Amino acid sequence: MKTFSYTIKDAVGIHARPAGLLAKLAKTFSSTVTLEKDGKSVNVTKLMMLMGMGIKCGDTVNFTVEGEDEEAAAKAVEDFMAANL
Amino acid sequence: MDYKKCASEILTGIGGKDNLASAAHCATRLRLVIADNSKVKKTLIEGVDGVKGVFEAAGQLQIIIGTGTVNKVYDEFIALAGVEAASKEDVKAAAAAQAPLYKRAIKTFGDVFVPIIPAIVATGLLNGLLGGLSKAFPDMAGSYLFTLLDMFSNTALVFLPILIAVSAAKIFGGNIYLGGVIGMIMIHPNLVNAWSVGSGAETETLWSWFGLWNIQNTGYQGHVIPVVIAVLIMCTIEKKLHKIVPETFDLFVTPLLSVLITGFLTLTLIGPVFSQLESWVLSFAKMLIAVPFGIGAFIMGGVYAPTVVAGVHHMYNAIELAMLADNGMNTWMPIATAANVAQGAAALAVAFKTRNHKIKNMALPASLSAFMGITEPAIFGVNVRYGKPLIAGMAGGACGAAVASLMHVYATSNGVTGIFGFLITTESFVGYLLTFAVAAAVAFVLSYIMYKDAEPAAAVSGGSTAASPAPEAPVVAAADDKTYDDNCVYSPLKGKAIAMTEVPDDTFAAEVLGLGAAVEPSEGKVVAPADGEVSTLFETKHAIGLTLDNGMEMLIHIGINTVELGGEGFTAHIEDGARFKRGQTLITFDTELIKSKGYNTTTPVIITNPDDYAEVKKAADGNVDFLDKLIETKK
Repeated sequence: MKTFSYTIKDAVGIHARPAGLLAKLAKTFSSTVTLEKDGKSVNVTKLMMLMGMGIKCGDTVNFTVEGEDEEAAAKAVEDFMAANL
Repeated sequence: MDYKKCASEILTGIGGKDNLASAAHCATRLRLVIADNSKVKKTLIEGVDGVKGVFEAAGQLQIIIGTGTVNKVYDEFIALAGVEAASKEDVKAAAAAQAPLYKRAIKTFGDVFVPIIPAIVATGLLNGLLGGLSKAFPDMAGSYLFTLLDMFSNTALVFLPILIAVSAAKIFGGNIYLGGVIGMIMIHPNLVNAWSVGSGAETETLWSWFGLWNIQNTGYQGHVIPVVIAVLIMCTIEKKLHKIVPETFDLFVTPLLSVLITGFLTLTLIGPVFSQLESWVLSFAKMLIAVPFGIGAFIMGGVYAPTVVAGVHHMYNAIELAMLADNGMNTWMPIATAANVAQGAAALAVAFKTRNHKIKNMALPASLSAFMGITEPAIFGVNVRYGKPLIAGMAGGACGAAVASLMHVYATSNGVTGIFGFLITTESFVGYLLTFAVAAAVAFVLSYIMYKDAEPAAAVSGGSTAASPAPEAPVVAAADDKTYDDNCVYSPLKGKAIAMTEVPDDTFAAEVLGLGAAVEPSEGKVVAPADGEVSTLFETKHAIGLTLDNGMEMLIHIGINTVELGGEGFTAHIEDGARFKRGQTLITFDTELIKSKGYNTTTPVIITNPDDYAEVKKAADGNVDFLDKLIETKK
């Protein structure tokens, strides 16, 4: 299991487009990528629920990646967050 | 999907069967009443394969599974949990939804007719008016203006089968242009016009079944039912072919075969069956009106309207012409008048009584047209749809016709009925007036007593317990005016439908968020495409996520990059998590403001659970109105 935190820098937070891209990215790995914020957690492949988190600029979210390819998945998600959010 | 595994994992997620008070299910969800909510591990349930969402509402733990699968999971679930099936009411509700065939057939009929009513009313009124004027001023018939107006006035009726075919194809989900072709075949100029046949024109044999049954080259002008049946067959064939024909050949094989098979069947089988039926009706009608003491007329006046429904009424020309040739007294016309006027009066009563503006706006012109002798709008648009007005009209027609017969009312010509009928019944003015008045009065009073506005469609078993929609939210298009298919998405916007790949944004165009279509809105309003609930309402109100009762998850994203507006120009009319009904306004937005800030207002309508569907395709081209079909899906 890999965990890491990320603080959102993008002005408008995780809205539809980045959520879609993140969900798509997560689906390419067999590992489960979970995002947690303020006690609420969501599997990031579930697009609607991910968007429903209402994550905004300045929020800190915690990722948990668990599965066979967790190393690669965690790296990919972290890079994605840094590049897009 | 492994239903048993899914059910057992859910059971574990809720803390075992000891924690379960009762279980029921609706169209998409398991609805569980839990003893101790703290023992429920929602995240665990959310992760179960097959579960699309979990939330609590109205004291229930609702687990969204989806149409067609929820019942199977439920069966496994109650077997595992050892509880009794909780919902006898659900079963009852489902049984009620399965209306009898004739009711659904009548509703379909109405649905087919409603969109084309404006065309028929326009030309029908002109037709009645001109018919009357030409009887009042015989000289007029020779003028150029009359020739022109006469042509305009009968166009929609002459080509009625084409209009019906197009509308029917749309309702049955086929290609409307192919449907149009079927309609055109049925009134092709190479066939002898049915109205002329009614007046004695010669026909030739077109085809013969084994030399036993000859098919005449008669057209289907004025027909309704054979057209609808033909198009239904075409759409069934077309949809089947789309499934089995490889994509490479689909574009030319499917239309070719659909038209070929349907055209042949129509002209050689469906049509002739109706022709036979018509000749029986004709002999029956002739026999009936010979019955004395107004009894025959009474019956005929009553059954006249159903024969219009069946589209066999154009045969009556033959009766009138025979009467006129015989002794110059057309006693058929007053019966037809009684029937027509009564249907008009029945529709008028509906117009007076209903509180639904859509029905009122349709019933008024329809009844006016019926008083002038063109009854199709009143019969199909109003009376058949609501059933009771048709019966009231039949009763009125029967009474009026009996009066006509007893008072020996006759016309000296033919071709008009209703108000303008006075012009050709000058020799029995009082009798005709009474016929008219009795028919109208009986039908109006009965229809007024019997007609009741339908209750607003009761909430389908899904989620009736959850919060009701916000009362201030207006609903567009009364939902009972159309049939809706769970496999289709009905447009939440009005504007121009475009393919997702044409959306001027890479993420949407690449279908990263899901499949669907987009609309370039002409009006700043988003309405609910179906019943369901809000799963995500963005704080910036530029997008809304919906979970529909049919299991579909949808994202409607108004404009491109409009998240950057921070909510400016958007107004939400519903709260996060609230339930909504089809047609309810969800969000309004100021298209001008958004455009003036430099944003594109193209709005993708995205199915975000496309993995649940075998196929998702755009089903509209060009302009769509609210709740027009936008996307078709296949499971």
